[in-house]
Amino acid sequence: MRLDQMVSVLRSKNAGPLVLTFDLVFPDEDRFNHVAAAAETLRAEVARRYGEALERVAVHIYRPALAIKISIPRKVMSGDPGDRDVYGAQQHAPLLGIDL
Amino acid sequence: MNGIGTLLDDIASGRRRSIRILGASGQLGYGIPAAAFEAGLARRPDMIGCDMGSIDIGPAYLGSGKMATSRTSTKQDLRRVLGGARQLGVPLVIGSAGSAGAAPHLEGTLELVREIAAEDGLSFTLAYMPADISRSAVKAALREGRIRPVDTMPDLTEADVDAAAHIVGQMGVEAFQRALQSGADVIIAGRACDTGIFSALPIMAGLPVGLAIHMAKIVECASICCRPGGRDAILATIDRDGFELESMNPERAATPASVAGHSLYEQADPFTIREPAGAVDLSNARFEALDARRTRVSGADFRPASRQTIKLEGAVAVGSRAVLLCAAADPNFILHIAGVVDRIKEVVRDLVCENAPEDYQLAFRLYGIDGVRPLDVDGAPPSPHEVFILGECLAPNPDRAMQVMRTTKQYLLHLGFEGRMSTAGNLAFPFTPPEVDLGPAYRFNIYHIMEVDDIAAHFPLFLEEIKI
Repeated sequence: MRLDQMVSVLRSKNAGPLVLTFDLVFPDEDRFNHVAAAAETLRAEVARRYGEALERVAVHIYRPALAIKISIPRKVMSGDPGDRDVYGAQQHAPLLGIDL
Repeated sequence: MNGIGTLLDDIASGRRRSIRILGASGQLGYGIPAAAFEAGLARRPDMIGCDMGSIDIGPAYLGSGKMATSRTSTKQDLRRVLGGARQLGVPLVIGSAGSAGAAPHLEGTLELVREIAAEDGLSFTLAYMPADISRSAVKAALREGRIRPVDTMPDLTEADVDAAAHIVGQMGVEAFQRALQSGADVIIAGRACDTGIFSALPIMAGLPVGLAIHMAKIVECASICCRPGGRDAILATIDRDGFELESMNPERAATPASVAGHSLYEQADPFTIREPAGAVDLSNARFEALDARRTRVSGADFRPASRQTIKLEGAVAVGSRAVLLCAAADPNFILHIAGVVDRIKEVVRDLVCENAPEDYQLAFRLYGIDGVRPLDVDGAPPSPHEVFILGECLAPNPDRAMQVMRTTKQYLLHLGFEGRMSTAGNLAFPFTPPEVDLGPAYRFNIYHIMEVDDIAAHFPLFLEEIKI
């Protein structure tokens, strides 16, 4: 099933000016467990879609909020010349179609 | 006097178990909803705190010394929280004054505070703490090998230190404790860790550091941790075993899931809050509903840092920025747009560099295509109905930037391309002039950790009696 059909929140934001962080929040344990079990596949797919080395993609499973957090380095520091998204709030779309 | 002496005595002697802290605003200057703030005052908090800044807003404010918020809104918010705190006689603590917390931001905030006091007849002891770190201190630390980059930042150089328009350090719990101990009623800090604002008082009272910082990390965003999230004031009640959260807007509920979820926000790792004083481990945090609108949180563990450090932030001017705002709706132009913008760079260079070096950068963001993010790795290129074109020039001075942008506008309007039929012009301008001088541009050139022996020496405390 596609991620956008399983999450209640899927967002991106800076975690400091050099890190982009994605939050996936699930509405129930079933969907959370399904994606958490496929975390390595998710990590590889994020690396591929964002053109990032696998070891630079951090995935945290955060059960208290039924959430999965993914963090990657920003390719351009927030606000540097050439940046396209200073807050990093619109970088999540490539995640929506990941099929797990 | 700010009355915290009595509070600390009451906690120490067991006459009181808990401290009430009102988180009035996560971004002072963007409006503080009145009803929730008033409801918060009615709960008789022991302290009112506001965060006023962040690094998330980008380098322009730190570099230029300007606030991100409007003077009118900032003054209105300051008037609300000053009035409320003075009415109750409790400390008002504000961190990261004026958006970026450097000297001009702190001075601008203090000027508003003094103005409001004079207009409203308020008397109080004002404490303020600049966060500017001297170039000589940073260079000395650099030579001693006591500076390291954060994340993927390159190593710091002395040239970076000299070039930065402003350099600030994030003050923490230590600085706020000194200010509270001084007896000040109103405390305005330059750049500060948002958690220092709210955790200093409970830590002074001997409550667990991990709980105090976890609480602070949540209330610094006001009611964002609620469902639905919002800007309304939030009340935290903290004791030795945990803390309770309640939004001061009855429409907002702090639920275990919404509060737990807040640990995700703007952090790379949801299990750890990293602060200069140490790290808070949330692996064993528990979130329990007290009722439909209140949650009790416990379980945060604190691991003190082995060394004293200050996180430094600096921004450097990178030239003058001018932009061109225009759009296109011709399908053939849109089909060829990538090649068109490449060619216009050459055309402009030949015109503006006839007798001068290519001393500028010209770039285009093509909204509708890849203005916000790169094209998907396995998607077909989009063929939008229309595109917005943002041209941007960074040049050594405003005249040069505007020269490049105006030349770009004229020649992009008339540039030929394969199959062109719309020979009267390629662009739609939403208004004229479509070229705008945006002034100096900045980037972050310092985002590093500096080891220090005496944190307090870097954040001096000043006291001022404000009298009618």
